[in-house]
Amino acid sequence: MEENKGLKGPQSATMGEAKKTGWGIENLPYPAGVALIQARWDLCTGCGTCEMACSMKHFGVIHRERSRIRIYRYLLPIPKSVQNVCCQCSEKERECEKACPVDPPVIHYDKEKFHMVVDKDRCLGSSCAQCQEACPAHVPRFCPPDADYSLVCDLCETNGERRPECVEVCPNYALEYLAPQIPQHLERIHPDQKAEYLSKRLYPLPKDRLQIPPEELFPEDNVKKEK
Amino acid sequence: MKFNLLEVNLSTGEKKVTDVTGDIRNYLGGRGYGAKLMWERVPQGADPLGEENILYVGVGPITGFLGAITSINGKSPLTLRGGTSHMNGHFGNELIQAGYNAGILLTGKSPKPVYLYIKNGDVEIRSAENLWGKSNLEAQQALHKALRKELEDQNFRIMTIGPAGEHRVRNAAISHEVYHFAARLGMGAVMGSKNLKAIAVRGTNAPAYHDPRRLYEMTTTFHKKAIMKKVEDRRWGHNLSVPGRYYNTTEGVKNKQLGWDPICDLSNSLVLEQQYKVWNDACNYCHTGCKVPSFRRTPPLGPTLGELRHDNAGGWDANVMLPGYDVQVYLTPYVDELGLDSEDVSGVVAWMMECYQRGLITKEELGGIDLTWGNLPAICKLLKKIAYREGIGDILAEGLKLAPPKLRKEMAKYAITNKGIAITSYEPRGSIQDAVDLAVVPVGELHAARGVPKRVVIDSLTICSFLRNHVQQVFGLDNFARDMLYGTCGWDVSQEEWLDMIRRGATMERAYCIREGYVPVRDDVLPDRFFEETITNKYGEPKILKKEEFLERREKTYLAFELNRSGIPPRENLRKLGMDFVIPALEKTLGSWE
Repeated sequence: MEENKGLKGPQSATMGEAKKTGWGIENLPYPAGVALIQARWDLCTGCGTCEMACSMKHFGVIHRERSRIRIYRYLLPIPKSVQNVCCQCSEKERECEKACPVDPPVIHYDKEKFHMVVDKDRCLGSSCAQCQEACPAHVPRFCPPDADYSLVCDLCETNGERRPECVEVCPNYALEYLAPQIPQHLERIHPDQKAEYLSKRLYPLPKDRLQIPPEELFPEDNVKKEK
Repeated sequence: MKFNLLEVNLSTGEKKVTDVTGDIRNYLGGRGYGAKLMWERVPQGADPLGEENILYVGVGPITGFLGAITSINGKSPLTLRGGTSHMNGHFGNELIQAGYNAGILLTGKSPKPVYLYIKNGDVEIRSAENLWGKSNLEAQQALHKALRKELEDQNFRIMTIGPAGEHRVRNAAISHEVYHFAARLGMGAVMGSKNLKAIAVRGTNAPAYHDPRRLYEMTTTFHKKAIMKKVEDRRWGHNLSVPGRYYNTTEGVKNKQLGWDPICDLSNSLVLEQQYKVWNDACNYCHTGCKVPSFRRTPPLGPTLGELRHDNAGGWDANVMLPGYDVQVYLTPYVDELGLDSEDVSGVVAWMMECYQRGLITKEELGGIDLTWGNLPAICKLLKKIAYREGIGDILAEGLKLAPPKLRKEMAKYAITNKGIAITSYEPRGSIQDAVDLAVVPVGELHAARGVPKRVVIDSLTICSFLRNHVQQVFGLDNFARDMLYGTCGWDVSQEEWLDMIRRGATMERAYCIREGYVPVRDDVLPDRFFEETITNKYGEPKILKKEEFLERREKTYLAFELNRSGIPPRENLRKLGMDFVIPALEKTLGSWE
C-alpha cells in the first residue's frame, strides 16, 4: 500500500483533473450575450451537487443554505426534487429590481455582463426581503448571519468570464446554460408549482397514497371467488 | 473537528449534547460506534423492546459525500443480539448540518406517542397523537405540512415508523422519504417500543469541514470517474441484479424448494425500465441516481407506485411465486406503507406458504386465508394481520427466531433463517461465497455481511455500499478514506491506524453479539435444507452445499478476519486495539479462550 500519499496536499492521483473533465456540457459553445441557467426539473435527482458547487465557488465552503441555486424536495407521493434558480428576467419583468426599496436598487441587472448583481454592502438583508417577496418563484435567498444579503445567480462571472459551476458539475444534465429560448420570465415558476406540474404525471394517485388499498381492491367476496 | 452526540432521554425528556470526538476517532461513527454504544449503554440480556435498549441514529465523519447513509443501531428484537440497519437518502446529511455530526442517541421510553423535532439547536419532543396509527407516507406528508406551515421551509428530512413499528412487530422498518428504509433487524420495532413515531430534522449550518476544497474535488472527481455506475444504475436501479441472480441460482425460488421456475423469466429489468420507470432520484451528493420509481396506472391493480430493487422486491417474486412486476409494483409499496421489512416478512410469508402447502397449518388457523403460492390478495391479508398483530399475525410478528417454537414442531424446519433473519432473496446453494458470507456475520444478514470487517467500516464512515466497489476502483478505499478523513476532520490517519479502525468496529460488533449469547461455531450455520436438498437450475444442473466445504471455508474466513478458529477475537488483538474493557465480560460468557 502506498504510504500516506494523499494527505500532504490536494494531489491524490486522480485529483486536479476534475476541472478539465466535465460531463460534456463545457464542450458546448457558451452563449455570448443574454444567457441564463435553464433548469430541467424532470431530470433533477436532488443530489445537491449544484448547491455544493455554488457555495464552494462563491464562499469556499460546503454550505447548501448559501447556494444561489436551491433544491426543493417534495413527496408527490414519491420524492421529487426540483431546482430553483434566477432566470435573469428581461427588463420589464424584473420584479425584484422594481421592489427594492433602496435607490438605486441594490439588486439590479448588469447590462454589460448580462447577469443580476447585488451590492451586498447596501443590501438591507433578510429583514427587508422585498425582492424575495416580489419574485414569483421566491428565488432570492438570504442566509444570515453568514450572508445576510440577497443571493441570486451571477452565472459565476469573474473578470468578465461567465462559467456556471453548477452546470458543469450536474451529473444529470439537468442544468443548461443557454441564451433564452423562451421569454425568461416563463421559467420563473415557484417550486411548489413545478412540483404540482410533475405530480400530474402520477395521476390519478393522490399525494398521500401509493396505491388503492387491498381492502378496496380485493373485497371479501373476490377472494372467495378466486378459489 | 469536534463531534457532537445529541442524547435524548425519552423517559425524562432530558436532552444533552456530548463531545465524543475520542470515540469517533476510534470507531468512526455509524455501525462501529453504534456497537460500542450498545456495549456501554444496554445491559447484558436486556429486552430489546424494553426501556433499557437504545436507538442510535448514527452518521459518520464523511456522511453526505457518496450517499448519506444513516446507520440505525440498537439491540435487535429479531435476533436478540446486536442490531444494525442502514438507510440512504438525505437524513444523515441534514443531521450533520444541524450540528450533530456524531448522531442522535435515544434512550428510555416515552409515556405517550411523540416525535422528535430538531432544527439546529432546537430539540423538542412533541406529541405525535395525530400521527400515531398513520402509514409511513401519510405520517410523512402530515409532518411535512405541519412543519412547513410553521417554518415556511419545506426541506425537512423525516423518518417515521408505520403501523408495524407501532405494534412492535419484530421485523418492522424505519422509513425515510417513502422508499428509503432502515429495514433490517427490527429497528422500527425498537423505535415503536420507545413510542417514537418520527424524527424530523432540519439543519441550516455549514459543517466545519477541515478542507472543503479537497472534499469538493474528491466528490466531483469521483462522479466523473465512476461514470459507468451512473450509466448502469440510472436505467434499472438495483433491480438489475435480480434476473442475473436467477440464472446463477443465487435467488430463492418457492421458499428454496426449487432452483428455477418459468416465472423467473418475468423478472426482466428491461421491462421494468421501459414500462414502469418514472424518473431517477438520488441521495445526497451522489451522481448515480439509482432510485428508479415505477408507476403502473392501469387496472386491475393500478394506480400504484413502487420502487423495486433487489432488497425489497427480491423476496416478493419467485420466492413466493408471484409473477412479474405488475404484482410486485403493487405489493412492495403495500409492505412499505405498513412499515414492515419487505425482505424479512417475505421470508415469513414464504415459510407460511410452504407450511400451508404441506398441510402443516390450516386455513382456519390462518384466519380464513387461503395462502396458496402466488396468491396476492391472501398475501396482503396476511401482511395486514402481521402488521397489526391480529390472530396468527401476532405469532408471525415475532419473526423467524421466536415464532417457530410457538407453532407446530414440524413447521420449524421450513423456516429458512440464519440467526432469526429470514434468508429470502438469496440462494446460498448457488454460491458458496454467499453461503459463508451469510453465515459468519454476527448480526446475521447478508447486506451487512459482504466483506466484513471492511463492510463494517464502510457502514461506519458512512459510504453507500453500492458505491464501495467504485470507490475502490477510482481511489482505492484506503486512500479515499484517509483523504476524506483529512478533508472532513483534519486527521492525518496513517495506514496502520486506518487498518485498526477497520478492525475495531468489526471486533466491537462481534464482541457485543458474543456477550448477548452468540456462539460463532454453533450459530454460523445455515438451514439443513441447503445441505440436504438438491435443486436444479434452468439447465438441469444440480446445486447443493457440501457441509465439509462449508465448514472449511468458514474456518478460513474466521482466520482471515483475524479471529481464532472458533470465530472469537483473540485476547491479544483486543488489547492491541485498546479494547481491554470487553475482556472481563467475554470471559464471563466464554470462560477462557485462546
